[in-house]
Amino acid sequence: MDEISQHNSRKENCDLNIPNMEWSFEGREVFISFSGSWSILSDQKPNLVSRWNVLLKESIDIEVFHLNCSGSTEWDSSLVVFLNKIIKDIQKQEKKVGMQGIPHGLGKLLELSASNQSEESDDVSTFDELEKFASDLPNYLIQPIEFFGAVIIAFFDFISGRSVMRWQDFFESARRCGASALPIVTLISFLTGLTMAFVGSVQLEKFNAKIYVADLVSLAMVREMGALMVAIIMAGRTGASFAAEIGNMNLNEEIDSLRTFGISPISFLVLPRTLALFIMTPLLTLYADVVGIMGGLTVGTVVMDFSVIHYLEQTQAALTHMWEVYSGVAKSLLFGLIIGLVGCYKGMYSGRDSAALGKSVTSAVVVSITFIIVTDALFETTFSYLELR
Amino acid sequence: MIPTMESISPIIKVDRLTLAYGNHLVLEDVSFEVQRGKCLVVMGGSGCGKSTLLKSLVGLLEPSVGKIEINSLNLWAGDKTDNSILKEFGVLFQGGALWSAMTIKENVSLPLEIYTDLEDQDIDDLVRYKLSLVGLSGFEDFYPSEISGGMKKRAGLARAMALDPNILFFDEPSAGLDPITSRRLDDLITELKESLGITFVVVTHELASIFEIADDSIFLDAQSKSLLDQGKPDDLVKNSRFVRITDFLTRSESSTS
Repeated sequence: MDEISQHNSRKENCDLNIPNMEWSFEGREVFISFSGSWSILSDQKPNLVSRWNVLLKESIDIEVFHLNCSGSTEWDSSLVVFLNKIIKDIQKQEKKVGMQGIPHGLGKLLELSASNQSEESDDVSTFDELEKFASDLPNYLIQPIEFFGAVIIAFFDFISGRSVMRWQDFFESARRCGASALPIVTLISFLTGLTMAFVGSVQLEKFNAKIYVADLVSLAMVREMGALMVAIIMAGRTGASFAAEIGNMNLNEEIDSLRTFGISPISFLVLPRTLALFIMTPLLTLYADVVGIMGGLTVGTVVMDFSVIHYLEQTQAALTHMWEVYSGVAKSLLFGLIIGLVGCYKGMYSGRDSAALGKSVTSAVVVSITFIIVTDALFETTFSYLELR
Repeated sequence: MIPTMESISPIIKVDRLTLAYGNHLVLEDVSFEVQRGKCLVVMGGSGCGKSTLLKSLVGLLEPSVGKIEINSLNLWAGDKTDNSILKEFGVLFQGGALWSAMTIKENVSLPLEIYTDLEDQDIDDLVRYKLSLVGLSGFEDFYPSEISGGMKKRAGLARAMALDPNILFFDEPSAGLDPITSRRLDDLITELKESLGITFVVVTHELASIFEIADDSIFLDAQSKSLLDQGKPDDLVKNSRFVRITDFLTRSESSTS
């Protein structure tokens, strides 16, 4: 061996179960030998990489790197990846690589991965994302309008008796979004009425006007909470299921196959669902109003010791004009329409993979609830402006 | 097969078709014809636009440029597809695309209910007959989720044939099927073609199927985004000027690089 040759060997790494890299310099060449057991489960990787970086720095005037793997008892992808990195680093510095004692399989794998390696792509820049957003923007605006237009056309087809909508689909949807929702609507409305009665009673007691809890609960329920609670339940329950159902049909090309038969998916899928929800939401709202008042009645009779008759008479007096009931039902009609249309729209235009489907369902619920709250606020503002209260 | 039909003009005529998704060009300047009662196979490697071409042929994707004529009627005349053309053909999608909320029987009967004034009993008889043609008698009341992949495709085929179409489009009939099931499906295609005189357009890259069923074939190429060659697969294997086609048909990689 040459006099200037150096030796670098870590005795503590010579254990055969640990991946090891040793090297020796001979003039302008360096001989690197890999030994031990190379496994992806080994925790020596950072150690080896840092040693390789040290070696690379030390060998500025080296021309040829000889790699030798004959000492490695076992190896897996970790050695292939490490060798790939080393070879890449060496080639970057425009130096030569020599290979010795490379097991047959390892050589093949190195060759294969080298021949199929692609250039590392740059990260998607903010600019690219912006560009994509800008090019998609017309879709975000046009698609809902297109969809809404198609629904209106389908509705007129339906009125004129030319629709392919099947009544059995309508009744099935009505059952699923109406009757099946009764238990949850009962629970939520009863508890809402109950809570309002409790909260109200504490405040009204201060003025010695506890009986007005009946007015408070009944007015709040029929005018606001009944419609709102039902709408939120429907958005989470039915709107999401519409989006998931139709989105899944989109995914499975079921909607395409409807189109190839000339069957409009709007008439066939969207119309029965939206109509069912449009009719069921007000009915459920009326039901929720009654159950909510029952919640108030429970607190009124059990906790505050009013008689049932007394409480109900007070409630009746509060709702004499019925305007509050009508306004709640009017709102719920629109809420039903919003939930049905948003749910179906999100399903029809969902992407064709399961992640996109999940996104659509989430977005169906979020968008529906947002629209519901905004519409509700608009209603109340308008009523207030028109002095309809 | 009725011999006199041979002389009639082609049933499908595609003229200088260009297809794109937004700004992404998929196929350019594709022209070909399909003869009545024949089976045309659309082949090519993955991502060459086979399924996109099929989508356009069945009225799901509007061409950027060019014309598709089915039975001398322009498929994309005006802004939307004409329903009278739609009844000319049936489509079998890759996974069958059965309507999952309906039973097999309802799947097949829906087009009949919508487009015909037949009595329920007549529709029932027709559905049973179509299902028996594809070997699915006894599965009328099963839901799509309750039957196997091969059965779904056969049920999809029965549905595609519901209105007795002149043309049947198939998207990858053998994808995801075992060799025997896919062979049976190929045999079914040949039988239906011969007994009913139906024209088939089949998109596939299964070599065994291609040689088995094709009377004619077109090869789409991902690199040039165009139709490379047309002919019987047996002739293409021997005589094609394009190494990409002979490579494809012989499963070799001799000269593509």
